Amino acid sequence: MHMARRNGAQRKNARRSADEAAKESVRSNGQRRNTFREDEELEEQINLRDIMRVGVYLKPYIGEVVRILTVVILMSGILVAVPYLIKIIIDSVIPNKDVSQLLLLGGVFLVAIVIYELCLRYRTVSITRVGQLMLKDMRRDLFSHIQTLPFSYFDSRPHGKILIRVVNYVNTLSDTLSSGLINVISDVFTFIITLVVMSVIDWKLTLWSLILFPVLIIWVRVLQFFQRKAYQKLSNKQSNLNAYIHESIAGVKTTQTFARERTQYETFQEQQGEVRKSWMTAVHIQFLMWPGVQNISTMTIAFIYYVGVMGFGGVNVSTGVLIAFIGYANNFWNPVINIGNFYNQLITCSAYLERIFETLDVVPEIQDKPGAATLPQIRGKVDFNDVVFRYEEGGRNILNLVDFHVEPGRTIALVGPTGAGKTTIINLLSRFYDVSEGSVTIDGYDVRDVTLESLRRQMGVMLQDTFIFSGNIRDNIRYGNLDASDEEIESAAKAVHAHEFIMEMPNGYDTVVEERGATLSAGQRQLIAFARVLLADPRILILDEATSNIDTRTEEALQAGLDHLLKGRTSFIIAHRLSTIENADEIFYIDHGQIMEHGSHDELLALKQAYFRLYESQYAMIRVANGGEALQAEQA
Amino acid sequence: MYVDPNNNQQASNMRWILPYCKPDLPRIIAVSVLFVIDKVLVMIMPLLAGMIVDQVITQGHHDRLPQFCFAMIAVTLVRTVVRYGYQMFMERFGQNTIYRLVSDEYEKLHSLDFTYFNHTRIGDIMSRMTSDTDAIRHFLSWVTYNVADCVILFVGSLCVMVTIDWRLALALACVTPFLFFFTRALASHAHPLFFDIRNSLARLNSMVEENIEGNRVVKAFVREPFETKKFDEHNDDYMQRNMKLAYNSRRYMPWLDGSSFMLQLIILVFGGWLVIEGMMTLGDLVAFDSFLWMIDGPVRQSGWLINDIQRFNASCIKIRRLLTSHSRIVERPDAESSVEHANALLAKISNTESKAPERIGGEIRFDHVSFAFPDDPETPILKNLDFFVPAGSKLGILGETGSGKSTLVSMISRFYDPTVGHVLIDGIDARDWPLSTLRSQVSIVAQDTFLFSDTIGGNIAFGATANDEDFVSRVAAIAGADGFIRSMPEGYNTVVGERGVGLSGGQKQRLSLARALADDPSILVMDDTTSAVDMETEAEIQRHLSELETKKTIITIAHRISSVKDADLILVLEHGAIVEQGTHQDLVEAHGRYWEIYRKQLGLQSGQSAGFEE
Repeated sequence: MHMARRNGAQRKNARRSADEAAKESVRSNGQRRNTFREDEELEEQINLRDIMRVGVYLKPYIGEVVRILTVVILMSGILVAVPYLIKIIIDSVIPNKDVSQLLLLGGVFLVAIVIYELCLRYRTVSITRVGQLMLKDMRRDLFSHIQTLPFSYFDSRPHGKILIRVVNYVNTLSDTLSSGLINVISDVFTFIITLVVMSVIDWKLTLWSLILFPVLIIWVRVLQFFQRKAYQKLSNKQSNLNAYIHESIAGVKTTQTFARERTQYETFQEQQGEVRKSWMTAVHIQFLMWPGVQNISTMTIAFIYYVGVMGFGGVNVSTGVLIAFIGYANNFWNPVINIGNFYNQLITCSAYLERIFETLDVVPEIQDKPGAATLPQIRGKVDFNDVVFRYEEGGRNILNLVDFHVEPGRTIALVGPTGAGKTTIINLLSRFYDVSEGSVTIDGYDVRDVTLESLRRQMGVMLQDTFIFSGNIRDNIRYGNLDASDEEIESAAKAVHAHEFIMEMPNGYDTVVEERGATLSAGQRQLIAFARVLLADPRILILDEATSNIDTRTEEALQAGLDHLLKGRTSFIIAHRLSTIENADEIFYIDHGQIMEHGSHDELLALKQAYFRLYESQYAMIRVANGGEALQAEQA
Repeated sequence: MYVDPNNNQQASNMRWILPYCKPDLPRIIAVSVLFVIDKVLVMIMPLLAGMIVDQVITQGHHDRLPQFCFAMIAVTLVRTVVRYGYQMFMERFGQNTIYRLVSDEYEKLHSLDFTYFNHTRIGDIMSRMTSDTDAIRHFLSWVTYNVADCVILFVGSLCVMVTIDWRLALALACVTPFLFFFTRALASHAHPLFFDIRNSLARLNSMVEENIEGNRVVKAFVREPFETKKFDEHNDDYMQRNMKLAYNSRRYMPWLDGSSFMLQLIILVFGGWLVIEGMMTLGDLVAFDSFLWMIDGPVRQSGWLINDIQRFNASCIKIRRLLTSHSRIVERPDAESSVEHANALLAKISNTESKAPERIGGEIRFDHVSFAFPDDPETPILKNLDFFVPAGSKLGILGETGSGKSTLVSMISRFYDPTVGHVLIDGIDARDWPLSTLRSQVSIVAQDTFLFSDTIGGNIAFGATANDEDFVSRVAAIAGADGFIRSMPEGYNTVVGERGVGLSGGQKQRLSLARALADDPSILVMDDTTSAVDMETEAEIQRHLSELETKKTIITIAHRISSVKDADLILVLEHGAIVEQGTHQDLVEAHGRYWEIYRKQLGLQSGQSAGFEE
C-alpha cells in the first residue's frame, strides 16, 4: 500500500518537472509493478486544471459550440415565452370571447413550435457531433501517446488498466462533455436572466430569497469533498476489476489447465464485490445533492411566502407580485438544480479525467533529442564504448563497462547464463533504454543523437515471444514492410521455410489467424516472425532466442535461409543451441554484466575457460546416452 | 450459475433478465411502496400551494401561513427522503443483478473450450463484461423507475383531466396514437444502430487490446504511425455509429417533443373555444392547464427513454450470446458416480484395492485416435494414433513444427475430444471423467507460458493446495528456478507483469514448470517447456524429475534429442501420424527419421571442431 502512495507522490513530481518525472518513472517502472489487486493513488484535491484541460479539446469546435448555444438560448426563449402566451390567452383573449385573436395566437404558438422543433433537430445532431469529436480526439491522443511509451510502461501494470483508460474512461465523459456542458451554459443564462427579472420586480424580496444560498454552497462543497473521494475509490476498483477480467480472459487456458476455475471465480466475485461496495458509497453521496437542493428550494419558497405575506423585513408587495415572484422563484431553482447536477457529474468525471491526463502526462523516458538528425543508411558498424547501465541512479549496475566494436556484416553470438545482461545489450542497441555511462554508436552516430524512427527502422529485432496480429498471414508478414508486394512476401516466407506450412493451410496466405496466433503452433509463429523481419530488410539484425521452438529439420532448412538473412548485415544472436552459436564470427561470453570472453568458437575453446566448460557440458549431455555410442560404433 | 442460460432462450430480454433480479424482489416491493408515497406527495405540493394562495393570500387568513409553510417543508423533507430511499434501493438492486449476471458470464467463460477462445477476441469479451453490463445496470437502476414515473404521470393526469372535462381530454388522447407511432418507429430504427455501436465498440476495444499486447513488436518495427492509422479507422467508425444514432434521434425526437407542445396548443385553442362557446368554465380550463405539466414531462422524455431501452436490448443480446455459446467439451452429468463405479469394477477384476477416486493413476491409452478441428473438418490434424503409456512411465514426442504434438497432449486433459477413437485414462474414456478431476491431475506446461500479474510465489502456488514458502521454493528448485528467483531483489515476492513480461523465455518456462509441479499431478506434460532453457539446466531439471517421490507419468514434447532420449517410449510425429515409435535404442537402430535427427543434432553439435569426433 505504501508503495502505491509513493507512486502518487511521484505523480505530483511529474507535474513539477519533466526531468524529475523521467527519473522517478524509471524507478517505479524498473522496480515495482502494479497488480490487479493494487489501487493507484490519486490526488486529494479536485484538480481544476484537469477540468480546464478539457477546454483544449473543446477549442477546435468553439465555433460550433457558439452556434449551438445560440440555438439553445433561442429554444429557452421560446420555452419562457410559452407560459406568457398562455397567460395572455387565459387572462384576456378567452374572457373577451375573441375567437379570431385566439386563432391568431394559436397560429403564433404553432409557428413557435415549428421553430423550436427545427432547433431541436439541429441541436440533437450537433451536440452529439461536438461531444463525439471531443471524445474521438481524446481517445486518439491517448492512443498515440501510449505508442510513444516504453516497454516498461506496459510491463509494469496490468494491460486491462491501460485499456480501460483509452476506451471506458473516455466514454464515461460522453454525456458530461456534450449535452451536459451545453445545457449548463444555457442554465447559467436562465439563472442570470431570472435573477435580473426578479430584482426588477422587487429587489428586497430577491435578496430575501437568496438567504439560503450560502447553505446550498456549503452543502455542495461538503458533498463534493466526499463524493470526490468516493469516485476516486470507485475508479480504482473498476480499474482493478477490469484488469482482473482482462487477465482472466487472457489466462483462461491456464486456469482450465489447472482446474482453478473455482478460485478464480471467487477472486473475481471479491473484486466485483469491491466495485459494488464503492459504487454504493459513491451513489449514496452523489444522490444527496438533489434532496439538499430540493429542501432548500422549498424552504426558500416558504420563506418568500412568509416574508411577502407578513410584510416582514421592509418587504411590501401586492398579491399579484407575490404570486408572480413565486413563479419565478421556482424557475430560479430549476437551473440551480441542473447546475448542481452538472457539478456533480463533473466531480465524477474528474476521477476519470485525472486518469486520462495522468496517462497523457507520462513522459517517455526515451525521446528524440530536440533537433535529432535522421540516421542515414547505415553500414552496420556497432560500437559500445565503456557502457554502464543501471535502471536507477545508485542502483545495481546491470552492465559494467561493456566495450566492444563490431565491423559491418559480422555475426555476433551472445552467450551466458540467464540474467547476465545479454538482452540489456540488445535493448541499448535499439535504444529501448539509454546508457547510464559511456555511449553506443552506430556507424559513428551516437544512438541518442538520431531520431528513434530512423534508428529502429534499420534494425530488425526478433524476440522469442513472437506476436501475431489478428488478420491474415499475408498481412502479418507484411508488417515488416508495409509496401511489400505479395511476391516479396512469398519469397520471404520461402526463404525462412514458412511457405510450406502456409500453403498447407486452407486458404494459404489468406488464412485468417486470430489474436496472438492462437491457432498456430509456436514454431509456426516463429517462422512467420522470421519472414516478417526478413521483409523489413534491416541493416542490423537482432535475434533473441528466436529459433527455440523450431524443430531440427526445419531449423536445418532454415539455416540456409538464415545464412542468407545474415549476409551483409551486422547480426546479434542470443541462442542456446550451439549449432547457431558456432557459426558466428565472434562469440561474446557474458556474465555479471561484463564480456568475460570473446573470440571465435575455436579461440574460445582453446582458452579452456567458461565457454569451453559450457560447450563441453552440453556436448557431453548429448553423448552420454547409449545411442550415442551405438551411433559412434556405427560410424566407426 | 445463478440462472441456467439455456432455460429461457426464447424469452424477451425483459423476461430473460427477470430471474437475475429475483433475489432482490423484497427490495422491489419496498421500492414500489416508496414510489407510490412519493407520487402522492408530489400531488400534495401543488394543492398546498393552492391553499396558501386561496386561504392566506386571497382570504387573508394570515395566521394559517406558518402551518402551511411547515407543511410544505415537511412534505418536501419526507418526499426527498422517500425518493432518496428508493433510488438507493434501485441502485443496490441494479448492482446486485449485474453482480449475478457478470458472475454468470465469468463462470460461463471458464467453461468454454479452446475452440471458442481461438476464435473470439479478448477485447470483444471484455466489452461484453464491462460496457454491456453497464448498459443493463443503467436500465435496471434508472430507466425502470423513470419509465414507471412517466407512465403513471401520463395515465394519472389524463384520468384527472377526464373528470374535469371529457371532451378536452378526448382531444388530448387523439395525440396518443401519434406518440405510439413515433416511439415505435424510433425504437425499431434505434435497435440495430445500438447493436452496431456495441459491435464497433468491441472492435475498438479489441484493436487497442491487441496493440497493447503487441507493443514490443510495434516498437521493434517502428509501426506506431501504422497502428495509429488503424486506430483512427476504428475510432472514426465508432464515432460514425454514434452519429447515425443521433441522426435517427433527429428524425423522430422533434415529433415526440412537438407532441407535447401540441397538447398545450389543443388545450388553448380547443379549450378556449369551448369556454368561449360556454361549454366549459374558465376555472376548469385553468385547472386543466395546471395538470398539463404532468403530461409534458413524460412525453418529452419518452424518446430518450426509448433509446435507453434499445441500448439495453442490444447489450442483452450480446451478453445472451456469450451465455448461450455452447462448449464442445461438456462433463457427463453422472461423471463422478460412473468413474467410481468403473474404478470399483477395475479393482475387482485386478484384485487390488479401489484407489482414491480423486487420484488418477496415470495410465494413458490412445485408441485409434483421429482428430480434425470442428471448424475445419477437412484437414486431419491427427491420424489414427494408437499407443499405450503405463502409469509412471515416460513418453517422449518428437515432431516437426505443426505436426500436431500440442493437440495430442491437449486431448489427455480433454481440451479437445477425438473426432474418431478414444483417449483412455486409467482405462476409462477421458469423456467419462469429471473435468475437474482430470484437469487437476493432468498438468500441461503449455508452449505459451502465461503468468498472472502476481508475485512469483503466487504464480507458482496458483494450482497448489499447499501454499507455504517452503513448498513453493522446493518445487521451484525442482524446476531449476529457485536460483534465479533468489537472485532477484525481492525474491519470491517479485511481481511479474502479465504474461510474465520482463522475464526471459527460459525463466518463464521454468516458472510455469514449477507451477505445474506444485499442483502435484499424476500426469505431467511438458510441451516444449525447456526450449529456451540452457542444456545444463535442462539436464538438472530432468534429474530432479526422475527423483520425485510420487510417481508421475511424464510426457515430454521436444525438439532436442537430449530431452526425450531417456523416455520409455518415444513417438515421432509427422503430419499428424506416428511414423516411428520405440525406445531411443530401438529408434537409433531402426535408422529412420529419429536416427536422422539424432545424427544431425550430434553432428551439428560437434561442428567443425575435430576434438569431439572420432
